[in-house]
Amino acid sequence: MAEIERAPRKSLNEQLYDLLFKNYVWQSIFRTGYPNTPRNQMLAVATNVFLHLHPTRIHRTHVKITHTYCLGGLSFFMFLGLTVTGVLLMFYYVPSIERAYQDIQELETNVRFGQLLRNMHRWMAHAMIILVLLHMMRVFYTGAYKPPREFNWVVGVVLFILTLLLSFTGYLLPWDQLAFWAITVGTTMVGSAPVLGDESKFLLLGGFSVGPNALIRFYTLHVIGLPLVISIFMAVHFWRVRRDGGLARPL
Amino acid sequence: MVSRAAAAIRTRPRRERESEVLVWPDLVFIEFISAVLFSIALLVLSAMVNAPLLNRADPDTTPNPSKAPWYFLNLQELLLHMEPAWAGVIVPTIALVLIAAIPYWDRDTDGQGVWFGTKFAGRLAVFGFTASVMVTSLLIIYDGSLHVIWTENIIRGTGLNSDFQWPGGLDWFRNLRGLDTGIPWESIGFTIGGFTMFEDWRAIPLGIPGTTTDPWLLNLNFPSFLSQQLVPVATMVGLPVLFVLFCKMLGWVHTRRDIALLIFSAFIGVYLTTTIVGTAFRGQGQDLKPPWDIVVLEE
Repeated sequence: MAEIERAPRKSLNEQLYDLLFKNYVWQSIFRTGYPNTPRNQMLAVATNVFLHLHPTRIHRTHVKITHTYCLGGLSFFMFLGLTVTGVLLMFYYVPSIERAYQDIQELETNVRFGQLLRNMHRWMAHAMIILVLLHMMRVFYTGAYKPPREFNWVVGVVLFILTLLLSFTGYLLPWDQLAFWAITVGTTMVGSAPVLGDESKFLLLGGFSVGPNALIRFYTLHVIGLPLVISIFMAVHFWRVRRDGGLARPL
Repeated sequence: MVSRAAAAIRTRPRRERESEVLVWPDLVFIEFISAVLFSIALLVLSAMVNAPLLNRADPDTTPNPSKAPWYFLNLQELLLHMEPAWAGVIVPTIALVLIAAIPYWDRDTDGQGVWFGTKFAGRLAVFGFTASVMVTSLLIIYDGSLHVIWTENIIRGTGLNSDFQWPGGLDWFRNLRGLDTGIPWESIGFTIGGFTMFEDWRAIPLGIPGTTTDPWLLNLNFPSFLSQQLVPVATMVGLPVLFVLFCKMLGWVHTRRDIALLIFSAFIGVYLTTTIVGTAFRGQGQDLKPPWDIVVLEE
């Protein structure tokens, strides 16, 4: 009688692995296993919606930490973190002068991890400004603004302004003395502009001084208007990094 | 033949592919790790330091000093030294436009992708930064009249003249406004062809009526114009030019890139100095004070 060939018995580890990663549901999410060949690694980057912002291969010098210090990427990461913490903060906050301050107080005292959430949002916002500034310095001192990257440098300057505006509009929202007077001082500076000063200030505040209209304007700009605009500019910024041949390096 | 072929292989330029790495894993992991590190650092910071929350906003109670968010304190600092329109709007706008315009002016592709790509780049950056920090500090000391206070204290301290006052003849050198208030403008006048120039320096008729609602274009207040606009703007334009000429003299400046390096570094110096002074050295009434003496009063 001919012997029937049997597959070798699988070890417990292998069985467990198959159970976890070779089941129908998992494979519907991740179509391939861990990419452990160069070809699959390139495909993993090129076909993944989150990773395809990257090229599949980059020059050796660009993964040196001291070339970029990850500053641009970290600025973007701050933006993502601010979006997450910001959305959570919106659950607890109503932008009216009757409720705003009280909501922040309750967030700090009554909401579990509320104080931590607010702290994260605040410090990430400061970190983002510092990181964007440092990123700008890095790009300047490595001469990375030179042709063909001229326009992307301009987009970067716009992103810097938008970052400042995002932070400035968020500054008013707690509606405490710090917020109120900082925005009063800031918008007074806008009001001193020649020709259109008073008009710009009125447009920004929705009145002659910081009040309920200013709060709702700053809130709307902070949570939807400016984030939309900055996302568009970021998309262009990142896209052009790819289009212009990745990071700058010596010719 | 064999040795020649081997030599050819050895000396051929490295192919691009060979000096490239794969984004997965080499870059993706670096990004992941730096994101994790920053998340942990910010989480620790947030667990230790609370975001400030003062009393509820009250339009009737003004804190003294009132300050803008820290990243605008450089502009608020400028505001103390010149006409508000210049400090709050025109100067930052021009600065941003000039920064955005750098690549359209410095188009040479040499030295890109390398830190401090020209021969003297390091020196230019260090000089531009330190010199501008020093000059900006001196200008702030001058406009804050610290040199007056220090001179008075030192001379009084020596005991030679225990109630020494800054001499009236040097009132114009007290601070920037001294150019306005410390000069006897009323008695300065000269005559050209029978006309007295100018009888009133504080209302020089310019004859541009209807162009604007700003009264200073109708009648120029020259002393105020001098101290609040002419001198500050001349300083902001003149000092960078002097910096460039000085470094040219030293033989450090050869290309537009060099000039850009020098001026950008000087800009960073000014930006940092004014931000720090505005944040930590301005007390009540925006007077210069050491950080430990600054108290916020509510009035």
